[in-house]
Amino acid sequence: MIRYRNVHKAFDYPVLRGVDLRIETGELFALFGPSGTGKSVLLKTTIGLITPDRGDVELDGVSVFFGGKKALADVRCKVGYVFQNAALFDSFNVYDNVCMGIPEAELKALPRVEVARRVWRALELVNLDPSQVMGKIPSELSGGMRKRVGIGRAIVGRPEVLLWDEPTTGLDPINTAAIEQLISRLSDELKVTSLVVTHDIDGGLAISDRVAMLDQGTLRFCGTPDEFRASEDQKVQAFIDRAAAEAALATGSQL
Amino acid sequence: MSTFTPTVARDPGPLTRWFAGAGRRASVTVEHAGGLGSLFWKIVVATVRLRVNFRDVVEQFFIMGIQSVPIVLVTGSLAGIVTSQQGGYQMTSAMPNYILGSLVVQTVVLEMGPVLTAIVLVGRVGARITAELGTMVVSEQIDAYQSLGRDPVELLAAPRVIAGVIVLPLLVAIADAVGIFAGMLAANLTVGLGNEAFLYGARLFWHSWDLLYSLTKALVFGLAIPLISVHMGLRTKGGAEGVGLTTTQAVMFMTLTILILDAMFPPLMLN
Repeated sequence: MIRYRNVHKAFDYPVLRGVDLRIETGELFALFGPSGTGKSVLLKTTIGLITPDRGDVELDGVSVFFGGKKALADVRCKVGYVFQNAALFDSFNVYDNVCMGIPEAELKALPRVEVARRVWRALELVNLDPSQVMGKIPSELSGGMRKRVGIGRAIVGRPEVLLWDEPTTGLDPINTAAIEQLISRLSDELKVTSLVVTHDIDGGLAISDRVAMLDQGTLRFCGTPDEFRASEDQKVQAFIDRAAAEAALATGSQL
Repeated sequence: MSTFTPTVARDPGPLTRWFAGAGRRASVTVEHAGGLGSLFWKIVVATVRLRVNFRDVVEQFFIMGIQSVPIVLVTGSLAGIVTSQQGGYQMTSAMPNYILGSLVVQTVVLEMGPVLTAIVLVGRVGARITAELGTMVVSEQIDAYQSLGRDPVELLAAPRVIAGVIVLPLLVAIADAVGIFAGMLAANLTVGLGNEAFLYGARLFWHSWDLLYSLTKALVFGLAIPLISVHMGLRTKGGAEGVGLTTTQAVMFMTLTILILDAMFPPLMLN
């Protein structure tokens, strides 16, 4: 279970203003919101990449910010993070990039064959042909393939929680659908808790158990996809309408 | 219908503006000093705990050291040649020619060798490190290291700083040797000073301490350049523009630091 308790964060201006949110174990949760409302900031606080000015985050009851270094290290071992632009290490090939997803202590203890087997399996799970991509460096991969390698790196350590930061941004509709299916499938197969930050409302609603919407640093809505669609909140409706218009523009289907 | 009424902030006056500017600069300076101190301490801890990968240090040693040898040979030679020519022009007929040997050796070993090599490394190595780490910050690769439970200081900062501390004294030793040799050749060609006379002059005022002085300078510069470049690189904000801006700032910061440290050495070690 992930628990956000009164999380505040400001940079030059307030980004998060007291977010309280609880995501249950095994849940696939989507977080929506306009750009700049602090979705990615909230996601990064989950594993201590950004420290809130006030409040705390708990993972299975362990405080991320008040539990000490050991607790933070344990939290990071439990969580797989999929970055918006994959954040692959430029100087490593795909095999070494995915290898980095295995916790350090485990990596030292495991026989090389077992490490290779896990990397191979992770790449297969994200629908990549390991024999084709393992030796390539990130600059030799397409955007969609880079995202998949980033996902492979996040799941190879057998995490209990997966955090997805805009996993479909910058992808064409076909790749977007494929990644959304992948999120849903991985959440089922790996039995992980997933928190997906996304702009893609349709995709998010289709795969999620529950959704929430952030607006100006506060939680505007939290409920099931059906409740979200039926919400009479003006801001939620305006966000849905705007997102639909943007999606139509992006796919060129607008008249 | 409400009307928009623009408001103009009251000018706080030149004195307040001056104090505000001075306060901001002081705050930034303290922030950098604290950041550098903290980074240095983390690197020391990582090194003492043997958390630094030896292969990474060797790789950085190759990039910073071996690949810098050609440019160090060129700058070292030119430093010796220029000193020899300038000295020859100013001193012939005023002093015995063999004094030129002392002048070239002392200038190259005490000043030109360490400082010119350090300045060259600021451009060749320091700028590269800042740009490389800055790019890793803006592309979230540093965040990725942390999210995977890896410490960027152990993996990225420490190998660069350790390699810098080892590499610079070696490069300065090369620059010193090449500079003296080139200066000797130049003295022979320009003022007709024979090699034996040149070496006689060189030995006349030579102290072993001078070499230690040169290498100590190199050691300190070798720590300062990668430390500042890593510190600046990890502080990068924004996209490509941020990387460019931070790299420029880092080069200025490193150059100034080298010159200030250089000015602090004579009162500390030569008196």
